[in-house]
Amino acid sequence: MTPQKSIWEKLQEIDRRILYLILAIAVTVPLWIPAKLPVIPDSTSMDLYGQLMSVPEDKTVFVQSDWTVSTRGESQGHLEALLRILMARRIKFVIYAAADPQAPQVFRNVILGLNQEREARGLPPYRQWEDYIDLGAFLNAEGTLNSIGQDVRKLFGPRRSADTEGRERPVLESPVLSRVQKIGDAGLYVVVTASATIDVAVQRISGKTKLAAMTTGVVFPSVLPFYQSGQVVGAAGGLKGVYDMEFLMANGVNVVSPTGKVEAQFPAKAELTAPPLTEIEPKTVTFARGQRYFLSFHAAIVLLIIAVVVGNIGMYKMRKNRRGA
Amino acid sequence: MIPLAQAPPITFWGVQPGSGEMWVKIVVALVVCLLIMFGLTFLPNAGRKAVVWGFTFAGGLFYVLLWIVPTPINRGPSDLPRPGEEFGFWLQDALPHIVNSANILTAFLLGLGIYSLLRVHLGRIAKRQPDREFSAILLVCMVVMAGFGYADWIMRRFGEGREKLELMQNWTPVQYAFDLMFDGLLQQMDAAMFSMIAFFILSAAYRAFRIRSVESTVLMASALILMLSLLGALVALWNGGVDAMAVALNLPNASVDLKEAHFLNNFKLNEVANWVRSFLQVPALRALEFGVGLGALAMGLRLWLGLEKGGISA
Repeated sequence: MTPQKSIWEKLQEIDRRILYLILAIAVTVPLWIPAKLPVIPDSTSMDLYGQLMSVPEDKTVFVQSDWTVSTRGESQGHLEALLRILMARRIKFVIYAAADPQAPQVFRNVILGLNQEREARGLPPYRQWEDYIDLGAFLNAEGTLNSIGQDVRKLFGPRRSADTEGRERPVLESPVLSRVQKIGDAGLYVVVTASATIDVAVQRISGKTKLAAMTTGVVFPSVLPFYQSGQVVGAAGGLKGVYDMEFLMANGVNVVSPTGKVEAQFPAKAELTAPPLTEIEPKTVTFARGQRYFLSFHAAIVLLIIAVVVGNIGMYKMRKNRRGA
Repeated sequence: MIPLAQAPPITFWGVQPGSGEMWVKIVVALVVCLLIMFGLTFLPNAGRKAVVWGFTFAGGLFYVLLWIVPTPINRGPSDLPRPGEEFGFWLQDALPHIVNSANILTAFLLGLGIYSLLRVHLGRIAKRQPDREFSAILLVCMVVMAGFGYADWIMRRFGEGREKLELMQNWTPVQYAFDLMFDGLLQQMDAAMFSMIAFFILSAAYRAFRIRSVESTVLMASALILMLSLLGALVALWNGGVDAMAVALNLPNASVDLKEAHFLNNFKLNEVANWVRSFLQVPALRALEFGVGLGALAMGLRLWLGLEKGGISA
C-alpha cells in the first residue's frame, strides 16, 4: 500500500498550469480595481521630478526613446508621465530613437494618444514643428550619441520636417531646435529605455548636459552607480518609478500649503521642493497607467514571495520526513 | 530669423532634398558601390583579409583619434581653429558623416536580413518542404506590413491634407489597416510574448529557488527586502508600525508626523532597501562593470588589430 502523501509533498508536485492560472488571476483581477495606493517615492524619482519641474520654459528637452511594446507596461508609463509634465509646462521637446527601428512608431502612438487625451479635456494639443520635433530613428546608438555630444547641429542638420504650413524645412529652423547650438543648451536629456543605451548616453553625454533616465526595472540597478556619482541627475525605474512619477505629479514634493503645513513630506529629500503638476495645468491627467498596474504589481510580487516561501517550507518538511523515515 | 536658426550650409554631402542633383548622386553612388563590390569578388582570400582588416582598422582608428586628439568644446558656428588645432576641428567635422555612414551600413543589415528571409522561405516553398505554409504566412505578412507601412508614411509625409491624418476621424483605409497590423497585432503579440516570462519566473521561484546554503540565504534575504520595498502599500504599513513603535517607546525626537529623526527610522523598509542598494548592490555592480569594461577594451583591441581568433586572422 502506498503511503499517503503529506500536503507539502502534494504542493511540491503541483501542476505548473495551476501556478500559471493563479498568476493570471492574481494579475488580471486587480486591473479592474482602481486603487490609489500609498507610496514613498524613491529619491531618484523625486530628483527626476524636481529636475523636470525646474527646466526653464525657453529650453528644449531632448527625449531619447529606446523601447518597444515588449516593455510597454513600464516604458510607456514612463514616456507618458514625462510627456505629460512637458506638455503641461509647455516645454518644447525633440524626440528620437537611437536603437530599435520600431521605437519611433511606438512613441508616435504615445504622442497621438496624449494629444487626443488633451483635446478631450479641452487642453491645447502639442503640434509637430511648433511644440515638438520627431526625428525618427538613428540606428547606431554609439555613433549617434557620440555625435550628439560633439556637435548636435551637424547630426540633426540634414533632417527635415513639415512646418505648420506643410512645407518641408530643416528641423534646425523649427522653434524647437532654433536655439539649440550644442547639447549643453538642452534643458534636460532624458533617456527612456529598456536596454543598455543609458550606459552609452552616460559615456557620451554626461558632463555636457543634465542627463536623466527612465528605465525598466531590470535595467534600473545599472543606473544607480551613475546616479550616485552625479552623472545621472534623476531616474525612474520600473513600474514603481511610473507610479512614483504619477504620485509626484498629483502631490508634488515637500509642498508648503497656504496654511503653512508641508504636504507630501519626504524627509529623504527635505531640500527639494516641487509643486504638483495640477497646480500648473489643473485639467492634466496625473494618475494613469502606473495606478492601473500598481495593484497587479503588488499581487504578482506577493505571489512570487509566497511561492518561494511555500516551496522552501515544502522542501524542508519533505527532508525532515525522509530523515524521520 | 535668428542666426542660430539657420541650417548648416549645404555641402557636397548634403544636397537639396528632391533635387535632380540628389538623384544623380544617389545613382552614381549606387553604381560606384556595386562596381567596387563586384571588383572585390575577384580578390583572392589573402587580399580579402587585407581589405576587411583595413576597413576595421580605419573605422577603429577614427574613434581612437577622436578620443586622443583634443577637439573643440562648445564650438560656435564662427569659431576657427588656431594653429595646431586644425586636425581636431577636422575630426569633429567628420564625425556626423562617419555616424551617417555607420547608420547606412546598419540599414544594409536590414536589407541583408530581408534577403536572407526571402532566400530561405522562398526556397522552402519552391521545394515544397514540410511547414511551407508557415513560410508563406511569414512572407505575406512581411510584404503586407511593409506595403501598408510605406503607404501610410507617404500619405502622412507628402499627401494632400496630411495634417488632418493626426485625427482618427480623418483616417483612410490605409491608416486603419496599418493600425490594425502594427498596433493591433504585431505590438500585442510582442507584448504577450514578453509577458510570458512572468509565468516561467513564478514556476522557477516555486520549484528552483531553494535555501540550501548561507550564500543562497543572503541572496534570498536581500531579494526579499528589495521586492518588499517596491510595494508601496506594504512600505506605508511597515513604516507606520515603526513610527508607532518609536512613539510607544517614547524615543527622543520621535513624533508621528515624521518631522524629526529617530533611531528606529533606520528600520523603515525603504531605508533598509536603500542601504542594501547603496552599500551592497551598487558597489558590486561597479566592480562588475569595471571588469566588463576592461574585458571589452581587451576584446576591442584584439578585434581592431585583427588578432582575434575566428575573426580576420582565421
